[in-house]
Formats: sequence, structure tokens, C-alpha cells
Amino acid sequence: MVDLIISASEAKKAALIAARQSIPQVLLVRGLIDTGASCTCVDPVVLKSLNLKPTGSTSVHTPSTGGAPQSAATFDVGIVIPCIGSVPFILSTIEVIESQLFLSQGFHALIGRDVLSQCHFTYNGLGGYFNLAY
Amino acid sequence: MALEKELETYKLKLPELKAQEGKYALVQGVNVVGTFTSYEDAMKEAYAKFGLDSEFLVKQIRSIEEVQFISRLVVPCHISPPK
Repeated sequence: MVDLIISASEAKKAALIAARQSIPQVLLVRGLIDTGASCTCVDPVVLKSLNLKPTGSTSVHTPSTGGAPQSAATFDVGIVIPCIGSVPFILSTIEVIESQLFLSQGFHALIGRDVLSQCHFTYNGLGGYFNLAY
Repeated sequence: MALEKELETYKLKLPELKAQEGKYALVQGVNVVGTFTSYEDAMKEAYAKFGLDSEFLVKQIRSIEEVQFISRLVVPCHISPPK
């Protein structure tokens, strides 16, 4: 699990500033690093809080979709993974899939391989820790 | 439904967009407004051109629709009707 900050994308923030509208507050959420997810997913509760509208669509295959992929809404967001004492990992405009993540599991986002492909991720099972280098 | 028209336009224009495989198409209504090398560039142009209230679609051009795989049990959300 990692803490991450989700906000409107930089592209949307620029438009909000140009329109002299307020920028929605960023949200600090828990994310699960999931190498089994090809794309990052965010729970609708988070996207609704940021007052975002869908800006895309993609086909998704999960255990819940049965044998055929299903069309899902995508949103543009900004994601920051803070790092104490160092520079944060910043993705200023990234496409994420809106998915119900069952919040009782304790996270609001799945960090997928689209994000991991932009950094170096290692998991040390014996040591019980992971590294995320960027 | 949100983006229904844009998704239909993308589908109709896909044969001519295939030459730009991998780029990001910006679609609004019945028009493909442009193609961009990065998702971020497409989103910047979309918001600059259409502002905050209009609907638009940004979609990576793929001859064969790319399927995202998520091994965990999650429920992807359909594009919901506009509020």
C-alpha cells in the first residue's frame, strides 16, 4: 500500500485557472500497487469528490466481467506519490479507469503497470518490503 | 449516455485514423478535432479548445481495441448518463 494524492489533471487545472474557477481540493488516498492490473483504477467516490467528468472509454477484462471485456469510463487525473525527504513521483495528467474497488478492503486506487512502467519497482519478499524508484 | 456520440464518431473514423496508430485522437461530437503524440497534449488541447463544460473524448488510436486486464475483483463503471 502507498499513500497517494489524486487531483484534477494539470490540463484541467490550467483550464480552471483560465476560467477563473476554483480548483478542487486534492485528495489523499490509499493505493494498492497491483502488478496484475494493466491500468490504474480509481474508485468513483474519489472521482466524484473531484467533480470530474469522463473523458474517455476503454475495454476492461476483470473477474467481474465474465468471459467478455466490458466498456468502462476513463478520467484524466493527476497523481502524486509523496516521498519523505525526497522528490515526489508526479504524474501530472494520466488516464485512469473508474472502478468500484470495494472500499472495505482499505484502498481507493489500484496502481497499475501503466504507472509502474514509469519507475523501477522491486519487491523483496524475504525482507518484507518494496522499493519504488523514479 | 455521456460520450456516446463521440464514441460513435471514433468508431466511424477509425479506418482513416489507423494510419496514426498509437496517437491520441481528440473527438468532439461528429468531428475528430486532431491527433496528438501524447495523452497530456491531447487533454491540454481539449480543455483549451472546449473549456470545462463541453463533452469530448480522448482515445488512443488502435486498429484492434486494446483490452485492459485487472486480475483483482473490481467492478468497472460504465460511462454514466450526464448529470
